[in-house]
Parts: sequence; structure tokens; C-alpha cells
Amino acid sequence: MFGKGLLQGLGITFKRMVGPNITEFYPEEKPNLPIRVRSSMGLEKDKCISCNMCAMACPNSVIKLTSEKNEANKKVLKTYHMDVGRCLFCGMCAEVCPTKALKVTQEFENAIYEPEDMQWDMIKRAERKGKVE
Amino acid sequence: METLKYLMETLNNLFLIIAEFIRGLFADPHSVWANLTMNVINFIIVVIIVVLAALILILLERKVAGWTSQRPGPNRLGPRGWFQTIADALKLMGKEDVTPAGADKFIFKIAPMIIFCLPMMTLAVIPYGRGMAPIDIDLGIFYFVAISSISTLCFLMAGWGSNNKYSLLGGMRAVAQMISYEIPLLFSLLGVVMITQSFNLGVIVEAQGTIPFIVLQPIAFVIFMIAGLAELNRAPFDLVEADQEVVAGPFTEYTGLRWGLFFLGEYGNMTAMSALAATVFLGGWQGPGFLPGYVWFFMKVGVMIFIMMWVRWTFPRIRIDHLMHLAWKVLLPLSIVNILLTGLGIYIYRFVMGG
Repeated sequence: MFGKGLLQGLGITFKRMVGPNITEFYPEEKPNLPIRVRSSMGLEKDKCISCNMCAMACPNSVIKLTSEKNEANKKVLKTYHMDVGRCLFCGMCAEVCPTKALKVTQEFENAIYEPEDMQWDMIKRAERKGKVE
Repeated sequence: METLKYLMETLNNLFLIIAEFIRGLFADPHSVWANLTMNVINFIIVVIIVVLAALILILLERKVAGWTSQRPGPNRLGPRGWFQTIADALKLMGKEDVTPAGADKFIFKIAPMIIFCLPMMTLAVIPYGRGMAPIDIDLGIFYFVAISSISTLCFLMAGWGSNNKYSLLGGMRAVAQMISYEIPLLFSLLGVVMITQSFNLGVIVEAQGTIPFIVLQPIAFVIFMIAGLAELNRAPFDLVEADQEVVAGPFTEYTGLRWGLFFLGEYGNMTAMSALAATVFLGGWQGPGFLPGYVWFFMKVGVMIFIMMWVRWTFPRIRIDHLMHLAWKVLLPLSIVNILLTGLGIYIYRFVMGG
């Protein structure tokens, strides 16, 4: 029949019209990311044993950490810095971490204004996690 | 039951009762001054209808566009974005009014004004309910088509006055397209006129008391829809303002409120064309008695407008040679055949009924 395709097209658009929207209301509702997204790093300071394996595993030498010994002759983490400008988010650091202190997380709103802000102080980040800046 | 019927009757004639009341305020209800007052009030009502229609339709267009592509449409201002038009209008008013240096200033400035007048003039002859035509003239359809064809001239004026090659191209396209589609549009209305033996829109609506003419004239209705879409320069026939080809056609050089007037005129014309379709083919204010006539009328107009938007957001733009082929090689012969068949039908009906 002549014009059948036109009617079919109208039918399809009508179905779309009454069907659900696929819009994500991003700033109001956070999207559900796929589980394998790697977009940020998180550190649990108490679990860290300062073994330096993450720093050695890192292909771009992003991680710099310092530690000091306490009375029981155990290493305690003092500073933990990441130069995120060079980070690939490959996740190797988290993979080698023996105590799972370092984790790949899915925070993605990491935009910054100044290049200096790319030097992440992981201890400070861990402390302010969940708080409004 | 009796009270309900009485209430329905009152609701149905609400505006007529109000009109009678206003006339009653004069010493002689049919003096020149009473008529003048009523005409002014009718005019204001028509203007309100045009402006309200434009305000609602601009938003609805964007909403329908959104729904068609699985978006919610504008959703920032007001509940679910329903106040978006107000922001749009304010933005348009705040814009600078630019007239190009080489423009033909008088023609450039007068074109949007004329196009905004046309829907007011055409909507004035539509019967909104029983006896509710602001102006009841015997050549209703004739007047409507004559006035609405002036918009061709406005597009050409805008295109010529802008002194811009894209505007001129758009204006030329407008003339070619709108004049071609005027003919099938007229011929599709002619079938209905032959059946009712009248050009008066009120009489045509009265004649549809038992059966709307869309049943008797389905081909005419389809032709009217297609030709009407082309008359209104809406997609898929929006070659006049095709963004990818001629920037925005005649509107390229317009800014701010002048462009807004074009927009208002476009949506007003759309309302007028839908109102004509509802009046001539869908039975106007005729409908089951549980709703007043004017509610039925505006529901039918709404359905027609929705179909126009639906079509716009479904189909891609037609090519210009196909456009001309469709008008002259398909729609025109079809409408003439339709007139022939209608005439035959009337003849046979008379022969059988012994009229």
C-alpha cells in the first residue's frame, strides 16, 4: 500500500511518546555507573601498613608515601600523596595492596580549577569523605 | 434530571447569555453603540485566543518534540517546566531590535505585523459554539481561505525586505509552495461545500449534526491535512525555513520581538487551520451532550494540533521537486476526482430520494 511507511513511522513515534523517558536527570540524580568504572582512588589510613607496594606497582610513579616507626616498631603512615594528573586509573596499586587499604572508587566529579589541585593528599581526602567542602 | 438538563443548557449558552447581558446594558440593545461594543469585545476575545494559543502551543511543541525522542522536554521553570514560555517571551522582549543596513525598512518592518494580523482575521469567522461566531458571514470558507493566503505575501515581503540571499530564497520558496498547495486545499473544501450548498461555516457545522463530514469526505480530509501542513510551512513541508538549506529563510534577519511576532503568527495560523479542519470535517461544536459545545470544539482543535505536531516530529523534510510533484501530480488530480465523486454521489442521492 502506498504510504504504509508513513503510517508505520507515525506508529513508532507514538509508541515512543507514550513510553518511558530515557533522560538522566544528572545533577539531581546521580547515574548508576557500570561496576567496572574506575574514576577515583580512596585510602583507608588505618588499614595501611606502609609497605610501599602501591608506589612500586604504579607504572607512572604517581604515588609518594612516607612513614615513620612507632614504639612497637611498626610503620605508621605519615603522608600519602598522589599526582592524579599522571594517574591512569589502571588500578594496579589497588590490586597489589595486601590489606586492601587502597581502593578504586567510582566518584567522578573530580574537576578542578588549578593544576596544583591535582596533587591529592589522600589522607585529607579520606577524612573529608562524605562531608561537604 | 431536569435541573441537570437546564444546567447543561445554561453552560452551553453561557457566552451568549453574557453577550445578551452586555447588550442589555444599553438603552437600545441593537443600537450602533451596542453593536460596536460587542464587536470590540469579540475582537479582544479573538486576540486572547490567538495569544493564549501561541503561548500554550510553543511549549507543547517542545514537549511533544521531547516525548517523541524519549525526553521530558523543557523541565526547569515551574512544575515540570510548564512556565517555560514565559521565560522565552521575556528573553525575546529583552533582545535588541536589529534592522539590517541594506534592508527595505518599511517592508521589513511591516511583514511580521501583517502575519500576526492574519490569524486574528481568520479566527474571527469560526463558530466556537452554537451561534458563537464572532463574525457570522455567509462566505465564511471563502473569506478564511482568501485571508490565509495573504501569508504568502508576508513571507515574500520578509524575504525581499531583508536584503539577504537566503531570505530571498526562502521567500521565493514560500511563494512557490504556498500557491501550489492553495489549489488542492480549496478543492478539498469544495466537496463539503457541495454537500451543504453553503459557504457559511455555521451552516456547515449545523449540517454535521448526525454525521461529521470526515466520514463522507475522507479523501478530502487527508488532502486538506497535507495541503494545510504545506500552507502552514510546517515540517515535513518546512522548506521555506529549512535551517540546513536557507538558514532560517525569511526569518534570518529578524531579531527579538519581530521574530516573536512571526512565531506568534505561525502558531496562530496553525490554530486557525486546525479550527477550520475541526469545523469543516470534524463537526465543530457538535458532540455528545455531556459537554458544552465550545469544549468539544476546542478538544477537536487540540486533537488536530496534536496530529500536526506528531507529523512534524516524525517525518523528515520533503525535497523541493517532490514537493511540487506531490501538489500537482497527486493531490490536485485526487481532489478533482473527489469533487467528481461527490457530485456523482449527490446526483445519485437525489435520484434515489426523488429530490
